[in-house]
Amino acid sequence: MATSPAPEPLRQAAGEIRQADIIIGIPSYNNAPTIAHVVRAAQAGLAKYFPQHRSLIVNSDGGSTDGTREAALSSRVEDAHLLLLASPLLPAHRLSFPYHGIPGKGSAFRLIFQVARALEAKVCAVVDADLRSITPEWIDLLVRPVLHAGYDFAAPYYHRHKYDGTITNSIVYPLTRALYGFRVRQPIGGDFGVSARLLCRYLEREDWETDVARYGIDIWMTTIALAEGFRVCQSFLGAKLHDAKDPGAGLSAMLHQVVGSVFLLMQEYEPVWRRRTGSEPVDLFGFRYDVGLDPIAVNVERMLAAFQRGCEELREVWALALEPATLAAVTELGRQATSRSRAFRLEDELWTAVVFDFAGAHRRRPLERGLLLRSLTPLYLGRVASFVLETESHFPEQVEERIEQLCLCFERLKPRLAAHWNGTGPGEAAPEDRPGLHGTRSAEKARLEVSR
Amino acid sequence: MIRALNQVLEGALARLSALAITYLPALLAALAILLAALAAAALARWLLTRVFKGIGVDRFLRQSGIASLLTRSGKLRATPVVAAAVYWAILLAGLLTALSVFDSKLTTRAIDAVVLVFPKLVIAAVIVVFGLWLAQYLGRSVLVWAFNENLPGPRRLAAAVRLVVILAAVATAADQLNFGRHVFLAAFILLAGGAALAGGLALGLGGRDALRRYLEGREARRQEQGERSLWDHL
Repeated sequence: MATSPAPEPLRQAAGEIRQADIIIGIPSYNNAPTIAHVVRAAQAGLAKYFPQHRSLIVNSDGGSTDGTREAALSSRVEDAHLLLLASPLLPAHRLSFPYHGIPGKGSAFRLIFQVARALEAKVCAVVDADLRSITPEWIDLLVRPVLHAGYDFAAPYYHRHKYDGTITNSIVYPLTRALYGFRVRQPIGGDFGVSARLLCRYLEREDWETDVARYGIDIWMTTIALAEGFRVCQSFLGAKLHDAKDPGAGLSAMLHQVVGSVFLLMQEYEPVWRRRTGSEPVDLFGFRYDVGLDPIAVNVERMLAAFQRGCEELREVWALALEPATLAAVTELGRQATSRSRAFRLEDELWTAVVFDFAGAHRRRPLERGLLLRSLTPLYLGRVASFVLETESHFPEQVEERIEQLCLCFERLKPRLAAHWNGTGPGEAAPEDRPGLHGTRSAEKARLEVSR
Repeated sequence: MIRALNQVLEGALARLSALAITYLPALLAALAILLAALAAAALARWLLTRVFKGIGVDRFLRQSGIASLLTRSGKLRATPVVAAAVYWAILLAGLLTALSVFDSKLTTRAIDAVVLVFPKLVIAAVIVVFGLWLAQYLGRSVLVWAFNENLPGPRRLAAAVRLVVILAAVATAADQLNFGRHVFLAAFILLAGGAALAGGLALGLGGRDALRRYLEGREARRQEQGERSLWDHL
């Protein structure tokens, strides 16, 4: 059991406060312009919806130099602007700690969870510090299903622009859904409600020092909840508007951390996902409504150029991961693609095969995992370009329908993943899983058909 | 006349008999040793094939990247390779033992040479294999890194890295074997020095403007909204 000691200031604060029912965690790093708004929304939400509960707002900071912690501690809800029907019995305390260890969102979460456990909280909700669209209702929607409806994990459900959340839409959501059989639409949303039971399970685990400490934390939390049979629901939070991420951070590194975490968890939960077929909806709380969204500009030409360049330069690396048929189809697509080609399409079947092959290669390790995952970037950009071109004139409902088709493709081709999972390399399925040997017609049918 | 012929024949037979008496036991012993070595080698190969199967050596080779550097497909199996190596090592040992039966100067010298050279040969082979592995690993790392950093010619960069590492390994192995050590060392120094000089000149003279444009362009690209949008999802 991994029980890293809680930092001294945390123990001191825990000694003073002793107990809290609800913890609202806000991980931050240089979020001075937005964190005050998030803290005010959390305070207002606690005062409005949970006036009878002891609550605490914890800011876990990664060493901000722009006064984030001071902003978090000094923000106040203007009483005149907040009309409450019930006066809060106890004011929500606020604490701000710098976390230690690997810099990243996951390390910040860990500290928040340690606080929640130390104070024997019944529920812990975490929200990003860069949110511009958070309202007090978010706190209610993330806390109430756990506190009053017996759920262990409340995942967020947002309206997002059709070109926002591309890793979610093209890899994480379809793959998580196909693997674990639950339709959690935003598995790496970043804002969650967690029960005390699940929180203790998270803290028990020993993989906090991996990519989980960074961007892998969101999918790690969701996957554990889904795979280990915790009760999961979704809460509709409206639009997610937030600051753009640090432009200095590379897309490749983020993709690497998120997808690497998904693949790593696939290995741990292999018996779970092998058992599950199809998918089922997950309960959704909150009243759904349409919202206006920030437009997102995408540069398709550059994405296509990156894909084409990848096909020319990275073939050697891809050959170690992709099945020969997949590799041939990708290479052919690279030859056809031009940066001005509006007809470019990386079809669902091919993309699913690429993701499954990379997942298998991640398990087999024909080369270092970091290199393998980084080499996925141009393929991912090719898929995003294809998606953007295809949905240029689509309305949100049509885009959602398109994503649903991709998810169904992942579910349909899952036997192919299972068949090649224990294989020794491209072109070799595990003998016990080889399609046809056991008369598995679905697996046979699921073999990649490059229908170009 | 007949007597003389008889004497010649008897002499020949006596010499043949003496030769046979001298060498036949040794020859038979050598043959027996060779046959025993052959049987032992075959047995060892069979045993190793049975024992090594599934003990994880194949996985190690795949995961370490050695498999993919020795065969293009990366499907090298350790079991047959190790079994074959042991098979031939036993045969070689049997041959040397068989030769030692004759106890001649030539065979003694041959055995001495093999015994002297063999460890060095093994060390040199290990150096070369390690060099190949390192070259492959660094080459692929440079390839993916250069690609993601949008550097020009990732494959050429990777090939250059591989070449330098392999040459360094070969030079070290040659030094170990006392074989053309100056030639390989000189070639390596010339190549590495030449590459550094060429790179320095290219960057310093011809590539100054290109590098500046590249760095400016990279900074500008980072600030573009198009790229930012790709990060907004998280």
